Amino acid sequence: MAIRAIRWMDGLKRAGIILLATAAAAFFFLPLLWIVISSFKTQLDLFAIPPKWVFQPTLANYINVLRSDFRAQFVNSMVVALASTFFSLLLGSMTAYGFSRYSLRGSSFIQFWILSLRFLPAVAVMVPFFLVFNSLRLRDTLLALFLAYNVFNISFAIWVLKAFFDEIPLELEEAAMLDGYSPLQVFLRVSLPLVRPGLVTTAIFCMIQSLNEFLLALALTVRAAETAPVGLAKLQTFLGTDWGRISAAGTLFMLPVVLFTILVRNELVRGMSFGRMK
Amino acid sequence: MARLVLEHLDCWYGRIHAVDHIDLTVEDGELCVLLGPSGSGKTTTLRMIAGLVRPTGGEIYLDGQRITHLYPGQRGIGMVFQSYALYPHMTVREQLLFPLQALPMKPSEREQRVQEVANLLHIGDLLERYPSQLSAGQRQRVALGRALVKRPALLLLDEPLSNVDAMLREEVRANLRRLQQELRITAVHVTHDQIEAQALADKIAVMHQGRIQQVGNPQDIYRYPANMFVAGFIGTPSMNFIEVELTSDGDAPVLRNKWLTITLSRNLKKDLPPRLILGVRPEHLRVHPPHEGDEMIAEVVVVEPQGHELILHVRIHTHLLRIRTDPRGIGFRPHPGDRVSISFDSQNIHLFDRYTQQRIA
Repeated sequence: MAIRAIRWMDGLKRAGIILLATAAAAFFFLPLLWIVISSFKTQLDLFAIPPKWVFQPTLANYINVLRSDFRAQFVNSMVVALASTFFSLLLGSMTAYGFSRYSLRGSSFIQFWILSLRFLPAVAVMVPFFLVFNSLRLRDTLLALFLAYNVFNISFAIWVLKAFFDEIPLELEEAAMLDGYSPLQVFLRVSLPLVRPGLVTTAIFCMIQSLNEFLLALALTVRAAETAPVGLAKLQTFLGTDWGRISAAGTLFMLPVVLFTILVRNELVRGMSFGRMK
Repeated sequence: MARLVLEHLDCWYGRIHAVDHIDLTVEDGELCVLLGPSGSGKTTTLRMIAGLVRPTGGEIYLDGQRITHLYPGQRGIGMVFQSYALYPHMTVREQLLFPLQALPMKPSEREQRVQEVANLLHIGDLLERYPSQLSAGQRQRVALGRALVKRPALLLLDEPLSNVDAMLREEVRANLRRLQQELRITAVHVTHDQIEAQALADKIAVMHQGRIQQVGNPQDIYRYPANMFVAGFIGTPSMNFIEVELTSDGDAPVLRNKWLTITLSRNLKKDLPPRLILGVRPEHLRVHPPHEGDEMIAEVVVVEPQGHELILHVRIHTHLLRIRTDPRGIGFRPHPGDRVSISFDSQNIHLFDRYTQQRIA
């Protein structure tokens, strides 16, 4: 009797957990799903009340979007994000390694200063950045965005990667030194491969940060270097909002990150939970 | 030929004098064990030889060449770390290839070397595995393989057996010895386990407080310990130390305290200090059933059976002594609370100066 009751309770508990997980997933996925669905709707279907779940899908929004400025904006976003991510990983991994392995006078102070760059609100630096880039004649260039984003991304990369480098036992590097490798080779052939989960995690966060960034992009660009978030926002005009195009553009904009995440999901989970060394 | 010479090697960690001007020579093909308790400077010495710690002073010569300031990778040294330090992201084959890839060599030759080492260490069927898929004993062999594959002039071993469980340890130990002798490679082995040291070493250097206390072959170190530290550290259970006064009975010198009188042979040199420490190994004390008139009667406190032998802890006056004995040899089996008579084997006693702690005789 008692055992059966316990089993029944266990089942109930499982069902509860699954229900809760489903609800949480639905809560987070519904807006995404809604955007994807909306992108295939006509203007008429979009505003139908109650919302239509069954409708005649159309690609008109996508065709519109791809013929508009969005294509260039999308390319701008991707170029800046990829470049900044790559550069942040390059510089971040080397700096983090340095902080992790070599003792330096005032090391913790410098590290905190680097971290402080990360919790700088974008609004606070928007005006100085504008003035600096304007006087350097870099306004409305991708280079300006690239430089600005690096301030946030490199500091983030240093902090995440330092934690990963700290996890690598020193003996591994000493063994590689005795195996006949120079410090740079030890870094490239032993240390760096071991923090791959950390690199992947950092890359995703840098990508998302760069792609999402709105405020600085708005301030520093006019047209040539405009990024997708800014372009999307500009579709909301006082003459009306083209939700179909926004949805299609949003869906396209999500794809790279989603694909990349799916591609590296194993490393990502490992990266977020640490523990490659054990 | 690879002869290792350490000359006045010295190392400070901040304000700690980790290694204090040591001199040591390891001959070609010899296995030298650095033996000592933790914090005695033995690992620091090894790391200085490897080039991982910069000595504060002194020189290191390998094969006649001064290597004190060379980068670790240029010294031609293979090392097995305590944790084995296998690269988690490489298969066994890649681990073994790794040191060879740093050398100019044909790929086919590298492959051949890996095969050789794999055969030597019986790890041929593990080549495609990752370290996480290996047992402790297998990891140890792979680590040894990685150290040997580039045919180093000198092999360094940093407590390589401490992570192998007791069952396997003896086997691995014997293997290690066999390999070292087969390859005739000069080796320095660090351990705190004196049994391991006795089993492996051609030469033992006992270290304590950053200094080498004594260098010698295992038997000499056991038979003629240079001082009280070495005497107490080598042998299980450790040596009994008894404070005695030197008096004389006619011509013969006599050692005496409240419960003990030992007459020494006359030809012992006369210039002994009056206050001495008598050292006797537990295996050199004998117990008998008590008889009337016996001078040294002790009470058995603890009996520890160890295989066919017994370790007795006995109390005589206020002094505790450890005795190792074979119950079949003495004809009775002591129990706690029993009274036994003990006697010394005067051939097997050591005398130490009470102040300098150095061995006198």
